[in-house]
Amino acid sequence: MPQRRDLIASAIVVLLLALLPLAGSRYAIDLTTEVMIYALFALSLNVLIGFTGNISFGHAAYFAIGGYACAILLTTYGWPLALALPAAVVLAGLVAAVVGYFCVRLTQIYFAMLTLAFAMLVWGVAFKWKEVTGGDDGFTGIKMPEIIAHHVGYFYFTLVVVAAGIAALWVICHSAFGLTLVAIRENSVRAGFIGVDTRHMRWAAFTVAGTFGGLAGALFGMYHRGMYIENAFWTESANVLIMVLLGGIYSFIGPIIGAAVLHLLQTFTNQYTPYWPTVLGLILLVIVMVLPDGLIGLVRRVRARGGRP
Amino acid sequence: MTLTMFTLNAFYGLALAMNMFIIASGLNLIFGVLRVINFAHGMFYMFGAYIVFTVAKTWGAPFFVGVLAAGAALAVIAFAIERLLLRHLYDKEHLMQLLFTFAIVLLMSDAAKMIWGTDQYSVGYPPGLGGAVNLGFVMLPQYQLFLCVVGPLIAVAMWFVVDRTRWGRVVRAATQDREMLAALGVNVPMVYAAVFTIGSALAGVGGALAAPRIALVPGMDATIINECFIIVIIGGLGNMWGSFLGALAFGFVVQFGTVLAPNWQDVLPYLLMLAVLIIRPWGLLGRPETGH
Amino acid sequence: MKYSAMLVAAGVLSAGTAFAQGAPIKIGVLYPLTGGGAVYGAPALVGHQMAIEELNAKGGIMGRKVESLERDDKLNPATASSTMKELITKDKVDIVLGGLASSVGLAMTEVSKQEKVVYISTIPKSIQITTDKLHKYVFRTSANTDQEGEAMAILAGKNKLAKICHLELDYAYGNDLEAGILKAMPKYAPDAKIVLTLKPKLGATDFNPFIPQVMAAGCDGVLSGLWGPHFVSWVKQAAPLGFFNKIKWISGGEVGSHEIAGELKGEYPDNVISNTYELWYKGNDPSHKEFQEKLAKKLNTQETPQWAALGYIGVMYAAAAMEKAKSTDPDKVAEALEGLSIGTPVGTLTIDAKTHQANIGQFWGPMVKKPDRAYRMMEPAEYIQPK
Repeated sequence: MPQRRDLIASAIVVLLLALLPLAGSRYAIDLTTEVMIYALFALSLNVLIGFTGNISFGHAAYFAIGGYACAILLTTYGWPLALALPAAVVLAGLVAAVVGYFCVRLTQIYFAMLTLAFAMLVWGVAFKWKEVTGGDDGFTGIKMPEIIAHHVGYFYFTLVVVAAGIAALWVICHSAFGLTLVAIRENSVRAGFIGVDTRHMRWAAFTVAGTFGGLAGALFGMYHRGMYIENAFWTESANVLIMVLLGGIYSFIGPIIGAAVLHLLQTFTNQYTPYWPTVLGLILLVIVMVLPDGLIGLVRRVRARGGRP
Repeated sequence: MTLTMFTLNAFYGLALAMNMFIIASGLNLIFGVLRVINFAHGMFYMFGAYIVFTVAKTWGAPFFVGVLAAGAALAVIAFAIERLLLRHLYDKEHLMQLLFTFAIVLLMSDAAKMIWGTDQYSVGYPPGLGGAVNLGFVMLPQYQLFLCVVGPLIAVAMWFVVDRTRWGRVVRAATQDREMLAALGVNVPMVYAAVFTIGSALAGVGGALAAPRIALVPGMDATIINECFIIVIIGGLGNMWGSFLGALAFGFVVQFGTVLAPNWQDVLPYLLMLAVLIIRPWGLLGRPETGH
Repeated sequence: MKYSAMLVAAGVLSAGTAFAQGAPIKIGVLYPLTGGGAVYGAPALVGHQMAIEELNAKGGIMGRKVESLERDDKLNPATASSTMKELITKDKVDIVLGGLASSVGLAMTEVSKQEKVVYISTIPKSIQITTDKLHKYVFRTSANTDQEGEAMAILAGKNKLAKICHLELDYAYGNDLEAGILKAMPKYAPDAKIVLTLKPKLGATDFNPFIPQVMAAGCDGVLSGLWGPHFVSWVKQAAPLGFFNKIKWISGGEVGSHEIAGELKGEYPDNVISNTYELWYKGNDPSHKEFQEKLAKKLNTQETPQWAALGYIGVMYAAAAMEKAKSTDPDKVAEALEGLSIGTPVGTLTIDAKTHQANIGQFWGPMVKKPDRAYRMMEPAEYIQPK
């Protein structure tokens, strides 16, 4: 069960976020919307990395499937949001289930490379299936329901969906299922001995990750009123992987922090210099050389030194 | 497909394979010994190409002096990276090593922009290799023929060094049991440094040798690193002959696949990897990893 | 939460100054400045900056100073979309310029529509920007694929090509250009027949799967959309086989620019006819000389790149439209841009009131050897301008 302190803290964060539009800055609203979407995306990937120890190089695939499917259903087929969004998420989950079936037979780098191969196929389909996806011109001009067409409306919509998504992931990760995954990560051989079907568990984790990645993608597409093949490319997978590692893979909120920090840094750096690669490169060097547990690890260490719990 | 066309395509497939093998062999060597997945390998390749441009075109030195310079420069850069930073990471998780090499990619890409700007460059063929050999029914470009000789030479040289020399035995032992080797009085850290240096120098040489055939542009590292990974993965990570086989499979599949099914050319290498990994999860000549 | 409070403060601050009397006019611009796109984005930005400096030296726009907010679009449409929104909502820019890739241009077109801010597309050629996706606030000062395709069809006819091999890169620009060429061929080159169409992938470095097919097809000419590095790699791989000895290579994608000629030097092949927006050594307008001299001084080289002119023209149009509208209000500026004619270093241009497309032309001509130069030059260079 969640500790009371965590619940209260989460409630306060959601409440404060809900008050943000009252401050009146359009820019802050947009930027926070983007951060929330990336936070869900990163968190979904960590179901796989943090809880099974498997690194995916192809998580953008499910993000893109969710984004494209929602965009196409809304715009081309004129579905209502209440149908298009769930359908897109289910589709992303189904594809993740199929891909996961093959990928979980492998481990380590072979697993990572197979996820990459599948993701690049998704990219290839988005690229070549021009009549449906718009090809490399992108799919723009997404039709939005009136109620969330305005940026404040979309902010609240994102807040509700992301909060619900994060809560759902929290429950999943702290269920018996989540604890079993941790056991697999720590010692898969031993977990196998005590009767855990490791492959099935990893498969389930893969599917969950893909499903919530698809949800983040759907939000992303609607926010930008467009989906682009770049969102399915391996660079996008690398970006979300860095978010997760930056925040720290061994804690639930690590990826959320990582997503926020990376996206904000990226945004602010671009206001001053095109030398973003240098900035990110130096940050990564610091993480690798002195902060192997990510930002959350740093916070914990500082706290431990201060003698606080 | 006529017989002439088939011959030509087979030759071009082979030439592509050898070109790729020269680059991928270094990546594979580093993984085989250090167990480090070096994302910076593509960037080393790009630096190799740019250095041969500076040395051979801007300074006017002979092309092959430029190739040697590229190899030497990358050796120096790699040695510095290994001694200053990478050696502290061998005991850490694979993920951290991966992030580290990715950081190197980012830093070097901006460094390249500062050194060479954003212009597009080109390097001429070395004298005597810029034409074609006429076999009567087909014309074969001399430079591609030359790469078809260099590729196997590198493979044989690597096989000889690793399998037939004392130093090679040490390197092979290092992949098995570092502690034992250290206990026997071998300077294991220097073995690691040497392997990283040689593997990276091969990337530099590979980039320099590829330079006359292609345009040099920022971002040329990105595609090549993915393709190199595909080659070493389908061959079986760490297995030199596996990489050779992987490069051949890559070369023929890409060449013939592009001719026969051009709509699929963007994803051909990935399809190949997918097929191999589903049928043989550890690559063509690889063996399942044991433990962590 | 601390950070949002900070943002809010910053937002309020900039909103406060934007409405002050005589506050600077803000021009936002996005070009790719990292990765492969920087080859074109960086010089375009130089032209952009030069135009801004000139404006300020002359007292700005409507007597107000001009401030340029420059951002990297990273060749990524989603990044471009976010960054453009930021320029509009946080920095309160009055107009946005730039873009390079078609997808980035289309993403910026979408933001411009949502936010009702004028966007002038200065490099993207995607025909959709001025057709399907056209709206009140989007304009284009670069050529589009129909114009480029028409010029190529005209040249195919002039050079009396009979059997044509058609090469395009398999992505938006290549497919659009192909459509543009096919549309214009019946009119300008009725006797020509396309016997082979091949589409290498975007970013291809190895053209060996295609070169033998073209050589075996017996074409007397190639129509090509292979730009920049694609053209260079093709040349390097095909030239050793004597590819360019008999085949005429008529190419879009600005491979007639000095950037390509100056880099390939002696390796630049025979029989190439191509295009460029601007040539440092030849102008079609008296103002070109002054423009080129300034650019040469700024870049410290006599042989200046063509892309600078595109960045420069975009700013000139933005300034002219605001002067004409006597306002920075997007609705008024958009109305002013419709049908607006201005003098530029490549001659007088007019933006069509209906299509929002400027009638910018390009120089077309054969690339010939010069006894006193290490590189080829376009001669004679003919300025083909759409009607």
